[in-house]
Amino acid sequence: MILKTARGAILHALNPAARGLGLSRGQTQADALAMIPNLDCRPADPEADARALEALAVWAERWSPSVSLDPSGGGLEGLFLDVTGAAHLFGGEAALIAQIERRLAGAGARARAAIAPTPGAAWALARWGTTGRIAGEDVRALLAPLAVEALRIDAATLRQARRFGLKTIGDLYPMPRAGLARRFRDADGAGLVRRLDQALGLTAEALIPVRAPAKYRGWEAYAEPLTDTAGIEARLPGLAEALSRSLERDGQGARILTLTAFRVDGRAGEVSVRMGRASRESSVWMRLFRETGIDRIDPGFGIDALMLSAEVAEPLSAHQVEMGQEAAALQAEGLAALIDRLSARLGEDAVRVASPAGSWLPERAERWRPALAKAPPPPEGPLDHGRARPLMLLDPPEPVEAIAELPDGAPARFTWRRVTRRVSRADGPERLSPEWWRPAGGRAARTRDYYRIEDDQGLRYWLFREGLYGPEYTGAPDERAPSWWMHGMFP
Amino acid sequence: MTPSIEPLSSPVPPPLTDLSTGLEETCVAGPRDMATTLAFALARARQEDRRGVGLAVTRAWLKEHGRPYGPGRRSLCGGRDLILMIGRTQAEALWAMEQALRSGGLALVLGAVDGADLTQTRRLEFAARDGGSAGVLLRTRTGDLSAARRRWRVASVASEGDADDVRAPGPLRLSAELTRSRGERPGLWMLEVDDETHRLRLADRLAGHGHGPVGRSHAA
Repeated sequence: MILKTARGAILHALNPAARGLGLSRGQTQADALAMIPNLDCRPADPEADARALEALAVWAERWSPSVSLDPSGGGLEGLFLDVTGAAHLFGGEAALIAQIERRLAGAGARARAAIAPTPGAAWALARWGTTGRIAGEDVRALLAPLAVEALRIDAATLRQARRFGLKTIGDLYPMPRAGLARRFRDADGAGLVRRLDQALGLTAEALIPVRAPAKYRGWEAYAEPLTDTAGIEARLPGLAEALSRSLERDGQGARILTLTAFRVDGRAGEVSVRMGRASRESSVWMRLFRETGIDRIDPGFGIDALMLSAEVAEPLSAHQVEMGQEAAALQAEGLAALIDRLSARLGEDAVRVASPAGSWLPERAERWRPALAKAPPPPEGPLDHGRARPLMLLDPPEPVEAIAELPDGAPARFTWRRVTRRVSRADGPERLSPEWWRPAGGRAARTRDYYRIEDDQGLRYWLFREGLYGPEYTGAPDERAPSWWMHGMFP
Repeated sequence: MTPSIEPLSSPVPPPLTDLSTGLEETCVAGPRDMATTLAFALARARQEDRRGVGLAVTRAWLKEHGRPYGPGRRSLCGGRDLILMIGRTQAEALWAMEQALRSGGLALVLGAVDGADLTQTRRLEFAARDGGSAGVLLRTRTGDLSAARRRWRVASVASEGDADDVRAPGPLRLSAELTRSRGERPGLWMLEVDDETHRLRLADRLAGHGHGPVGRSHAA
């Protein structure tokens, strides 16, 4: 694999055969070709690699709810799984490691796994450990024989450590910390000492999971992989029931549910549903999932585990219903359920409500947001300024050819959508200044004069002329003449 | 189920009665009368019913007629929320309208759907009864068969001019023709929307300047 960098083409990844021939990562392509003239080079795609690793991380959630990407890179990509309290579910730590390695191998990813009390130690043991790859209290002893590279330090720090004769992590233990800290500082300031402390658990290290771990999740593994959507749909109610029970125990309801399907080939598919208000009715969930489309999950060669997690859960109090308000509460429930169902089937963007926004420009004065999204805070200032506004707004405005008796007066006749209409009544102008603080697509924003127009058929329109004769248009040949636009229809 | 039919000798002209539970249908007289038709439907929503208003449309409809807007919409909806449901196809919009009617969460559901046949309008009628909501189909051409209890044809009419400025457009005027109804006599009414209450009232054709407006011919 070749990566084009500022230094020219370099080797980015090699297969074991290439490594056997003495090539190494970071070598220039020219050097490598000089050594092996018939080397098979392909362009590398680091972004695709990152995507694949992230997909693998989601898939690895089968072993732990909290999976983080190892940012170190450099051919040492990996995943951190927080398996605290989870190992016994898989038959102990040794069995867990064996299962992870076997599964990943089955999915075509050669990987080594290690378990240690800290991410740093696990990182070192997985990559450099030879004998024991499960560390407990003995993490200090297990790390001692490993090379200092195992501490996630950069190349400069490593060179310097070698110069001082520090070859193994054990060599660092007796050294005075102050001196180490002063001498070894890597590019991002992490430093040798901090890395050592992180490995030994003297300093905490924060990991950022690829997906926020859900507090509530239901999980089922199948001996016989599911191969079609119907199979998933048949198993889902059981999962939903279980999740609903654990939510009920804590008085919680789910706002966002995600169904993750783990495929045998190391990929994971997921479908999410959102609800306007928290719910723990598994029948409602099932309907939403069906409407969103369980078939969005590609079963591939088979799915051997399903996970249903409540991404967002919130307290679900039994709604206090006063006498006489029961009907209103039922109606509100009905509306919330309707919005959930419509959003699931048509898409969240297709179910919208309007909220006013603080702007004088008509097309910015209100925003249509998905009904499931949170309402923005109301804008400051008055909403209605008492001026006539159309019932229907064309956004963007459509060009109109208009003839006015006076250049800066109301139009007498206009052509819109190829129909010419004669104006019988007009009211205006209402002058709106441009919002000069907003860039208007490369050209200077101009003043608009709005007119309320009625044609001889009684149809009413909202037209505006963009640009003022005089201050904004002097008639110079390179200037844009003021133009007419149709912006809406009055009833 | 026996359909409830309004008495024959209703003292109030049909356009001034509030929309009741069930399905009605309006057809625009011309392609540009959609805003007027929408206003006609909104102005007839039951005032005491504080549930929201739904509008099921297709993307093509939004492109053609624009989106409901701001203060005009707010006053006609009487402060109620408007939920816009956008289907990719007519079938999706129709489905959304049916769901919205059945949910019971909305007082009035408008559907800008043309291709609804007799069976589909019957489904809408039943859904409206289930949810206790009023449904109005906004059509751009006269449908063939329909289960709607009333079928209207709405057109904009030239206004009287503003009281203060004759050159300016006055309050909204429209003509509503009841083309078909269960147990009511068809008729044609000239209506105005009151500026204050945003409700319909009969336009007084003798008021104003004498050379009153004449509705467009409704022969299609």
